[in-house]
Parts: sequence; C-alpha cells; structure tokens
Amino acid sequence: MKMEENKIDPRTKLIIVLCISFLAIIVRDLVSLFQLLILTLILSIFFGKNFKSSFLKFKSFLYIIFAIAILQSLFSNQGTAVFSIGKFTLITDYGLKRGLEFILRMMIVAFSANILATSSSREIIQGFVQMGMPYELAFMVATGIRFLPIMRDEIRDSVIAIQLRGIDLDKIPIRERINIYSYIFMPIVLGSISKAEKLAISIEMRGFRAYDSRTSYNQLSMSKLDYILISIITVFTTVFLILYLY
Amino acid sequence: MNNIMEVENLHFSYDGKREILKGLDLQVKKGEILAIVGLSGEGKTTLLNCLCGIIPKIYKGELSGKIKILGQDISEMKLSQISSKIGIVFQDPDSQLFSPTVEDEIAFGPENLCIHREEIGRRIEKSLKLVQMESYRYENPNNLSGGQKQLIAIASVLSMDGEILLLDEALSQLDQMGKKHMESILLNLKSQDKTVITVEHDLENLQIADRILELRDGKLSEFKGW
Repeated sequence: MKMEENKIDPRTKLIIVLCISFLAIIVRDLVSLFQLLILTLILSIFFGKNFKSSFLKFKSFLYIIFAIAILQSLFSNQGTAVFSIGKFTLITDYGLKRGLEFILRMMIVAFSANILATSSSREIIQGFVQMGMPYELAFMVATGIRFLPIMRDEIRDSVIAIQLRGIDLDKIPIRERINIYSYIFMPIVLGSISKAEKLAISIEMRGFRAYDSRTSYNQLSMSKLDYILISIITVFTTVFLILYLY
Repeated sequence: MNNIMEVENLHFSYDGKREILKGLDLQVKKGEILAIVGLSGEGKTTLLNCLCGIIPKIYKGELSGKIKILGQDISEMKLSQISSKIGIVFQDPDSQLFSPTVEDEIAFGPENLCIHREEIGRRIEKSLKLVQMESYRYENPNNLSGGQKQLIAIASVLSMDGEILLLDEALSQLDQMGKKHMESILLNLKSQDKTVITVEHDLENLQIADRILELRDGKLSEFKGW
C-alpha cells in the first residue's frame, strides 16, 4: 500500500523516525537490527518513497560507512580470529559483527530519516513550530538544508569548468588533485557567503521577525490516521524494547 | 498628486572617503512610475538600498540627509516597518526565493506581518493573477525559468501590499515577451495607485516610465539621452 504524499502529518513522521532511530541505537544484536531495517524499508515504501532513488542517494555514503565498519572491525580484539597475519590478528568474528551492526544501524537511521523527506521543508518547519520550536530556528535549519544541493551544484560546475580547461582530474596524482580542489574551494566559499548575504537581505525585506509571533497560511492538523500511526509506533517501540531487554 | 517619497540632500560613502551619492534630492509622487538610469558604478543600486533602508541598517557606511516615506523619516523606522511599505526586487531571483513552493514563497511576507490566514489566501491569489502565474502555485520555484522566478519574486513582494515597489534591474532576466508582460504588470500597479521606482541601464525598458532621471556624479538630473 502506498500513501499519498502529504496526507500524513510531518509530526507523525518525525515521531516514527525518532522511535526507529532510538531503537537502532539501543539494540545491539544483528537479528533485531535486521528486523528493524526491514521494517524501515517497508515504512519507506508505505510513505511513498522510491526505494531505488533512496538507495542511490545512500550509495555515496556507503563507502564511508564500510570504511568505518572495517576500521571498527580491525580495532576490536575480542572474539575468535577470522583473519590474521602471523601472530597478529587483524579481523575477529566479534569485530565483524560490530562492523555489520554499524552498517545496519546507519542504514536504519538514513532510510528512516528519508521518510521525513516525503514532506516539504515548509511542512516540516510548520511541524516543528506547532511542536513548540521557535520559528526562526526551524526556518534557519530548513533554509540551510535547502541550500546544500545548490552548493553541491556550484562545486560540480567549478570542477567541470576546470576539466573543460583540459585537466583530467582522474589521471593526475592525488597531491595535484588536492591542490586543484583548494583553488576552487575559496571562490565557492566566497560565493556562498555572498549568496547567503543576499538571501538574508531578501528575507529581512519581507518582514522577517517583524513581530514576536507570525501567522501561518498553512496549518497542520492531525487526522485519525495520524493518531493511529503514532499509537502503533509507540506500542511497537515499547514492546520491542521490553522483548529485547528482558 | 502628493509626494510619497522625499529625499533631501542625500550623501553616502561606503568607506568615508569616496562619496557615491553627493547631495541627492528626489521627490516621487504617489502612483508614479519613475525610472532611474545611469552607467555602471554610478550608484544606482546603492541609491535603491538607501531608499529602502538596507543602507545603513544592513550595509554600513556614512549616510547623511533625509529620506521620508509618507512623511515619516525612515531612519526612525525599523527595517520590518519599512518592508511593509516598500518592497524591493533584486536582479538575481535565485537569491530571493527560498521556499519549497510558489505558494509558500508568496505567503512568507504576509505571514511575517501577522496578516490573517484568509487575507493571505486572497493576497496569494491576487498576486499570482497579477503576474499571470496562477498555474504555478504549487510548483517548486527552483524548477522555474529565470523569467518565471523573477515574476514570482515580484509576486512575493506584491503580496505584502506595500505602497512602493523598487526594481533593481529586475527586467534584465526577461525576454522580450516577459518585458512586455512586466510592462503591463507595472501599468496595472500604477492603475492601483502604487508607486514604482525602477533602476535600469537598458533604455528599451523605460517606455512606460512617467519620468526618467539620470544618476551621474552622485546626483539626479533629468535624462536627456546618452
């Protein structure tokens, strides 16, 4: 079953994400983590998230997560040796288990956070505000997040501009490559600061913080379905925790 | 017609050494479309920034002289108070749009001014109708063309229902059709007794102006052609 976008209140989604992430941090066994991951993926599909695109977004972080998992595995010296060089044990079964746990945990957190992305940033801000967060803070965070892809595009454009001048970044030594990245870093940072300044002026000129409070054209209201979902996730989290701990 | 804006002996310098505006005087009538032209670097944007309080409230520098809107000195007003009377549209629409939908973008200003929800809804409809962008209400501004973004930036300012609209080369991103469209929007605003001050370097965009002034050597004078 696929839910239509925006039908569910972002506050409900936030509570679901918090519950799942909380369980992912508390739980420390592979089977339970795997069950949580399956549940997260089902929920992602339920909220209308395209699994393939979510995975592709997550793919760029996979290398880092795998690298951390391997490091974690290398530095855990408990358990039985799985791979060793001479007398020096490199990987133990315990280390492998810890590494795998880390990967699963990160996947759960990332995929559950993805559920929030099915609401627009404006809805999420409104959700936070109606939960009592100051509007300025919620607005600042959402605007910052919104401008991250723009910064990424600027970096990509600068790299393309350098490549069009005949420098093949894949074929030059890493030291020179770092040098080239340092050349593009400064204009990008300065450009971002200038953009942020212009944006701040636009916001000020549209009455931002004119009064202590503000009205909101879009108001969120929870439906029966939201209350049902919140009840289910709360009961599920409690039961899962009790079964896991005892 | 009464003067909606009065500028008296305005001097401004960013660094205290080189004066950009040198004793500038200006009177703008209610419902007038005033165009200000000038070569690059003459201080057209600086002048607009002074007129809406961005200078000295955000950009610092040495400012002297008086700027009055509806008889009230803007140095005694907060930027938020000024923003309810004057709206400004900049050249680059990308640095003015930050909301996930066009509707949110247009609602942002009136929400800050604590306008009632029903009234905000009416203003969104009115502003979108004025710029003929009704069908884009739920679009993400990022997905629009440069000209469409500029129209949304204008609609976002119009929804605040200010008396004066300042345009800082806002027509530069528009194609010929867009410019014609914009001319009709400005004439429509004029018919509603709104005042428009536009800064331009392209003379083609000035046909609808009631008055054209040239900014040269820090002072305004009647434009007699280049």
